[in-house]
Amino acid sequence: MPDPFPVPGDPAPGSSPGEPGRQAAAPAANRPLSWSLTRHARRLLTLALAGLGIAIATGRPEFAGAAAPAVLLLATWHRQRPAQIGLAARLTATRMIEGERSAVALSVGGAGQHTVQVVLHPAHAITPLPGPAAPPGRPAISVPFLVTRWGRRRVGSAQVILRDRWRLAEGSAELSLPRVDCYPRPATQRTRVVLSRLPTRLGEHTARAAGEGAEFGGVREYVPGDRQRSINWPATTRRGRLQVNTFQAERSQDVVILVDTAWENADPGHSVVDIALRGAAAAAQAYLNARDRVGFITYRYRARWLVPGLGQRQYYRIAEAMLAQDRNWSQDTGFSRLPRVALPPGALILVFTPLMDPRLVETLRDLRQRGFPVLVIDVLAGEPPVGRGRYARLAQRMWRMEQQAIRFSLRELGIPVTHWDGEQSLDLSLAPYTRRVMVTRR
Amino acid sequence: MSAEWPQAQPAWRVLWRHSVLRLAAVAGLLGAGCVAWAAAPAGPAGPAAPLITALAAVCVAGGIGQLGTARVALPGPGSYPGAAGRLAGWALLRLRQLPWAEGTVLGALALELLHPARPWHTAVLGAALTGYLLATHLAESTTVRGEATAVLRGQAPVLVAGLGLLVLAAGSAALPLAGSAAAGVWLRVAAAVAAVLACGLALPV
Repeated sequence: MPDPFPVPGDPAPGSSPGEPGRQAAAPAANRPLSWSLTRHARRLLTLALAGLGIAIATGRPEFAGAAAPAVLLLATWHRQRPAQIGLAARLTATRMIEGERSAVALSVGGAGQHTVQVVLHPAHAITPLPGPAAPPGRPAISVPFLVTRWGRRRVGSAQVILRDRWRLAEGSAELSLPRVDCYPRPATQRTRVVLSRLPTRLGEHTARAAGEGAEFGGVREYVPGDRQRSINWPATTRRGRLQVNTFQAERSQDVVILVDTAWENADPGHSVVDIALRGAAAAAQAYLNARDRVGFITYRYRARWLVPGLGQRQYYRIAEAMLAQDRNWSQDTGFSRLPRVALPPGALILVFTPLMDPRLVETLRDLRQRGFPVLVIDVLAGEPPVGRGRYARLAQRMWRMEQQAIRFSLRELGIPVTHWDGEQSLDLSLAPYTRRVMVTRR
Repeated sequence: MSAEWPQAQPAWRVLWRHSVLRLAAVAGLLGAGCVAWAAAPAGPAGPAAPLITALAAVCVAGGIGQLGTARVALPGPGSYPGAAGRLAGWALLRLRQLPWAEGTVLGALALELLHPARPWHTAVLGAALTGYLLATHLAESTTVRGEATAVLRGQAPVLVAGLGLLVLAAGSAALPLAGSAAAGVWLRVAAAVAAVLACGLALPV
């Protein structure tokens, strides 16, 4: 199965070209140049004027001689400078994963024999990387940059600086750059949690029921209608009667990934929301690779959901939904009124949450009482800052006990809670539940 | 015929050759040399000389710091440094913005002015100051290896002409006639015309 994660620069299926942030290239436009002295020219001018001024004031010609090289260097510049240049910016990739590189490909027209340098003024979470200056006469220049955090964000602006041959005058023009879509970097997850009861739909998970899968189930006596190719000849020879192999069915399952984005802590890029979304991306990727139907719900004071779906297109929908603020969502004020399409019966519900919002905890209890198998991945990293003094320590102890009580009560209800720090593989945290099927109890 | 293997060079030499630090060091040494040359000897320069020397030395040190930290990235939007990080960023920004090289030039010329007339000494100072400004410029703007050599090669005729004028001026100042009133008036007129030309070249930008 092809990797459902997008390759930077490739258009995603289902993308509409007119949507904001999708336009990678801007048409070439003439931009006025504002010219000024370079720092080098200002320094030469300082030496020239100071030397000549001292020579005039004191009548000492050697100071005028000291200023002579600077005056001659200043006299070399060309007065023919373009008043405007044609600029067109294009991003080499408009869709990427956190930490991936892209570049601004800038074509400059009308620069003549001037050296072109592009300085990227980055927006939030954009880190410019060092790039070379374009030699005179070369119309295109590329400025690489790094996107450090997921989101639909602006790259910033590019300042184009033209310098003459002697670098005495420089003209600059500024250009706004298009936006990029940066998806959360999925964590590593190769294994999957599989339920004991699976819907009767063809898939890749081995079910307990007998069927037409590839997994060997057992041997039984032949009955009319069995296929001849399934006869187990060694067992038939031993028992003296015809024996046939039986196989287990292969089914798919419904998985709903619930991400709690109501609570933030730590710096952007390392907060619980970042960890939760990276885990959710990994889980969606893993289950969609196994041809399961995956739905997606976010919880931030109210629930928003994407109905479960299959395949690469669903992955793109989930990734886009992670970036979207208020668009493309169905939404409701609580979980109690979520329709069946959002929570299919018997679906495995994976919850990425720091368990800090009591309303979500109540919702999880409610989901369990409605018979859904729920697995909580606790993404809480760190503790609230502790002040000084005895009461601060007491408050910290109370906070820890409260957290332990929440997790204990969930386990008592049959909701397993596993901790994931966002750094290691998700497989390690899910190992107790992926080694065998997760038994569904009502 | 067997080809010889290229000999491995020490890491410090490779770093030195490929680094902007080399040009920064050259600029720093030239700046310090200019100030020391202009300040020596300390005796005839008067009581203001130590203060001006100290200020010029500070400007040289600031220039070296400016060139040495030119490639250090400032925290951009989206980064959240602590108080020490914010202070360091503010200091780095100020270090880059202040005109250290101009201060060095003015300090060296002021020190030279405090001394009695010594034409050839002043001529050497003028050549060294021009070299200091060129080295500073190349250290802060060179991005490609060999670019500095190309820039210097292109400016060589102009620099040679400037040095010729420098020698002429120093030689004329060394003549006994240069101290007369008529020669002084002509010299001042020529210097004023050159100053107006320099301003006229620079200011319309």
